[in-house]
Amino acid sequence: MSDDSLIIYEEDITQIEALISKMLKGAEAKCALLVDKDGHLITRQGFTHSLDTTALAALLAGSFASTKEIARLVGEPEFSVLFHQGRKDHIHMSLVGDRSILVVIFDDRTTIGMVRLYAKETSIGLSKIFEKIGAKSSSGARKSAVEGDFAERASEKLDDIFQD
Amino acid sequence: MVSINYSAREVCCKIVYYGPGLSGKTTNLQYVHGKVPNSTRGDLISLATEADRTLYFDFLPINIGTINGFQAKFQLYTVPGQVYYNATRKLVLRGVDGVVYVADSQPDKMDENIESLANLIDNLQEYGYDINELPMVLQYNKRDLPNVLSVEEMNNRINTRNVPYYEASATLGTGVFDTLKLIIKLVLEKAKSTAVSNKPSSMVASASSPEPNPATSNSAPEPAPITQSNYSETNFGGGQTSRQSSQKIAIPSAQAPAAQREPERFSSYRPYPGSPGAAGAVKTGNPGPVDERPYPAMPKVQPQMQTVINKSIDAEPKPPATSAGQAPSMAPSLKRRGGTKKRGIFKRIFGIK
Repeated sequence: MSDDSLIIYEEDITQIEALISKMLKGAEAKCALLVDKDGHLITRQGFTHSLDTTALAALLAGSFASTKEIARLVGEPEFSVLFHQGRKDHIHMSLVGDRSILVVIFDDRTTIGMVRLYAKETSIGLSKIFEKIGAKSSSGARKSAVEGDFAERASEKLDDIFQD
Repeated sequence: MVSINYSAREVCCKIVYYGPGLSGKTTNLQYVHGKVPNSTRGDLISLATEADRTLYFDFLPINIGTINGFQAKFQLYTVPGQVYYNATRKLVLRGVDGVVYVADSQPDKMDENIESLANLIDNLQEYGYDINELPMVLQYNKRDLPNVLSVEEMNNRINTRNVPYYEASATLGTGVFDTLKLIIKLVLEKAKSTAVSNKPSSMVASASSPEPNPATSNSAPEPAPITQSNYSETNFGGGQTSRQSSQKIAIPSAQAPAAQREPERFSSYRPYPGSPGAAGAVKTGNPGPVDERPYPAMPKVQPQMQTVINKSIDAEPKPPATSAGQAPSMAPSLKRRGGTKKRGIFKRIFGIK
């Protein structure tokens, strides 16, 4: 089985958040999510407290995945940018590297052009960070949180939570 | 693939319920959603047709709590069972950590069970997964119905790999939790074995690394370099932010600098205009070596338009520093421009409502 676990450390996330924060400030967007293509939320920035970001991440990843299939059917390898326009809020999604999606939610205080400009710049910066993360992971300089007695302690919790 | 986030202190795994149409995959999730406490699970999201047939996937996030300082989160997905939805079914399998195969125990559904299992193997292979290495649990569902196949017969037909199985009735809830508990255990054990096998013998955790100390992880809750903030929480509960401030983790003195950095990191959030806290604007702090190249400069305003803007600004109440009359009317004071930004100025100029 292919092992490509995504392991992100605090020093990585600090850099990622700094870049996204800078983008939000420049583009004057509402908030941004960085989502793994598998649907895991990596980080979020901005005004996200009223959002169910876990569900949003899964749905956005699903949306991106389905458009990838659409792209394949029309002869494109992948659509790198997606845009959903609403009445008040809009969503801009752009590919970061080959496994993450940068999602920017914005409203009419800014424009799609501004968001696109800053998102593109940020995607390039994030790609470089993810390349470093991948290099560290492949060099074995990382260890996993699920070592030790993690599975055993999880089993004890499961028995408490899942009772008929 | 198991996602481990050391900053948010969480481990996230993806479990997919697979099986033929109408075998009870969504019902499994509905039972779990209905029975576990609200604090443990999020909303059940179902992308279904009007006839309640799963169109893309169902999604249920569950959080079993803090283990060794990490939030253990599991994302449960179902796939659409109908044959013609294979394209979307395959998409859901991306990054899967464990599979629950829900089989229909009725005799006339056995062919569909076999076909769906073969489809699972094919779809996994396309992602490079080997079904023999992927954690998997079989669930023989609908055991409450009359005239179901015997367990031996089910095993002979679809359990040729001898994977663990449970008899279940998803509508009644029998065997649903047993199946879920087992697949979670198998996923975590698999993640553990993979981590150990990939770990080089010479690897030593650096002193400044935020990763947990294995010596302490076996005896006490994992010391966390950062406190759990609302940033790292899952927003379970249908949009209501369930702040888990009670789960703040004790910070050992050796890792105090990392903890002290947390407020600074958190303070980097730019409050959105109109949001609570926007009045007390916080200064952006960007720790860490980041790309400090400036963004492309904003287009300059035409001089004649600048004049109009200046007049408009001057019409506003001025702070004492700028009311000295020294600033020429053609150039607004830099302090004014860099400080409080006037929103909607173009709208006021051109009379746009």
